[in-house]
Amino acid sequence: MSDRKPIIGVFKYSCCAGCEFQLIFFQQYVLETFGSVDIRYCRMLQSGGVEEGPFDVALIEGTVTEEWQVEQLRKIRSVSQYVIPIGSCAVCGGVPAIKNNEQEYVVQNRVYADTSKITSIRAHSVNQYVPVDGYIKGCPMGERDLVECVTSLLLGKRPDFIQYPVCIECKLKYNICVLVAYNWPCMGPVTNAGCGALCPSHDRECYGCWGPMRDANARALADQFARMGLSEDDIFRRFTEFGEPTVEWKPGQVRRWSVVQK
Amino acid sequence: MEARAGETVVSRTKIEIDYLARVEGETAFVVELNGVPFLQLKIFEPPRFFEGFLVGRRYDEVGDIVSRICGICPVSHMTTAILAVEKATGIEVSEQTTILRRLFSISQIVASHLVHLYSLAMPDYHGYPGIVGMQDRFGEQIGRYVRMKNVMNLLTGLIGGRPLHPVTHLPGGFTSIPNQDEFGEVLEKLKSIRADAEQVVRDVMEFEFPDFHAPCEHVALHGPQGYTINGGRIVSDRGLDIAVDEYDAHFKESEVPYAFAKQSAVGGSSVFRVGALARLNNKFDRLREHTRLLAKQAGLPQPGDNPFHNNLAQSLEVVDGIEQCIQIIESAKFEDEEIYASPEAGEGGAATEAPRGLLYHWYKVDRKGVVEQAKIVTPTSHNFRVIERDLKDLVTQHQDLDKAKLQLLCEQLVRAYDPCFSCSVH
Repeated sequence: MSDRKPIIGVFKYSCCAGCEFQLIFFQQYVLETFGSVDIRYCRMLQSGGVEEGPFDVALIEGTVTEEWQVEQLRKIRSVSQYVIPIGSCAVCGGVPAIKNNEQEYVVQNRVYADTSKITSIRAHSVNQYVPVDGYIKGCPMGERDLVECVTSLLLGKRPDFIQYPVCIECKLKYNICVLVAYNWPCMGPVTNAGCGALCPSHDRECYGCWGPMRDANARALADQFARMGLSEDDIFRRFTEFGEPTVEWKPGQVRRWSVVQK
Repeated sequence: MEARAGETVVSRTKIEIDYLARVEGETAFVVELNGVPFLQLKIFEPPRFFEGFLVGRRYDEVGDIVSRICGICPVSHMTTAILAVEKATGIEVSEQTTILRRLFSISQIVASHLVHLYSLAMPDYHGYPGIVGMQDRFGEQIGRYVRMKNVMNLLTGLIGGRPLHPVTHLPGGFTSIPNQDEFGEVLEKLKSIRADAEQVVRDVMEFEFPDFHAPCEHVALHGPQGYTINGGRIVSDRGLDIAVDEYDAHFKESEVPYAFAKQSAVGGSSVFRVGALARLNNKFDRLREHTRLLAKQAGLPQPGDNPFHNNLAQSLEVVDGIEQCIQIIESAKFEDEEIYASPEAGEGGAATEAPRGLLYHWYKVDRKGVVEQAKIVTPTSHNFRVIERDLKDLVTQHQDLDKAKLQLLCEQLVRAYDPCFSCSVH
């Protein structure tokens, strides 16, 4: 890939488009990014573009919530060397997947009187439909991982994504542990790092926006929350805000008696 | 004769844009050209059902969740939701919090306007498909844009922890307050882009705006003093003057079969406009004298009824916004404070000026602090009907243009409104 610029396609599914904004407007290396890669398809950035590919890298943002998205995603997979989900929605379901907690039609009926035109399906992350080659996590996606991904591509090396929990970053910043010291329900121990322990550094507990850390022990943290006096509902909500469809956080999403009472 | 006319018309009976580029979110539009112009703005952005799944979430999660409605105006959604939740649950905040919120909101409005003016709108007026290819000829403009945007993002990030989806803002106030040194640093940077800001107005003056008049009602927030952003009353240049609590009685939302976004209308029928132009039409006298002078130099008619002038209005808000930020930081002294929030059951709504115009959130919260009902009406829902009407009028007035030009003109018009389709289908 060294003799030409890598061809990149950016695709958007159900999300706020913040990751695309992060890519094209918000990060510190905007001009360098544009100079070193060939963004062939990105509707937020430019008119036209070739949707059919081929792409060296396809960046996918957003949760998959429509059937046409699944079909397009499979096509993209077949014409792309690397497929990388960007941001929590694509990586682990993110906020749009909160709707999975209830029956689809119940949620839909609250918003639309006429649901006949709605074709929405249960929210899934990208890797639940196609194999992926890495994740740029974060909500919005982390700048460090993005830069690492682009530079690795240019250098032809394997990207070194951050794979440790937020706790590590708190220690590196000499933060007081808000979970242990203040009894705040911090999601840091089960959440992937990369934000620089943003919330604990700003006097609040981590709410898990970067999604699950691989092999996280969600059960242990949920039990700890229960010992601290959080209600079952509150624990459930903490583990479903950003990682509803994930295996890692499922043990925290078990509702016991409270759900029966309703 | 009939048949021949028919043949030539075949290629230009319809303008169909199946995926409008350089706007936030996904939309298509169809314009029928022969006979009566027929128009549909097909917002196919997939619905995410925020109002549906917010039910059952805690009052202090709402701000974090709704900021994910929009990647370009997260602060607006977050602030509006938190104001509404505070109203519903009876949480009170300090004066410092209110001032900081204003600073927070303005910083994002300026950044959002810059992104729209340079990245989304400018390529149209200079004949480029996007900003990427423009670096060689418009290096100066792009340099200015990146410089200013970085300063504004720095300010938003300083208050919120990060510029996109901030973390410090909760019902009751901010969890952490930047210290005076940090504010001092940003203040210096803000002062350094003052000259750039005036250049923004000149850059926008270079756009050749089509001569197009589309009078309608302009709705904005208006308060007793200053250029109201958060709070105030909902007013219009045609005599509307209501408290935010009366919103539901005056603004009606309706569903249309071809779009996932809902349309909003005053009194169920009137077409109205929100956004920078509407704000200027309602409270031009509240801008700084210098900004008003710039408006005169830029030749912005006052009040204005050309939707393309929304870009000019945005550039004036950039100048004014930066001055307001400087003034707030210079005059206020921010100190750390504790957040006390003990929610009670209740319901309440709040309206703010998002970059794209009037934004309304309403929540009903139970005694455990859990949301029972939610309602969100975004600026693009407010503008939906007027965009459609203006497109129709534009096409009627320019029937003789060739199809490619007319298509570009239509795209320019939609972009001039700076619509956010992600927001509109939340």
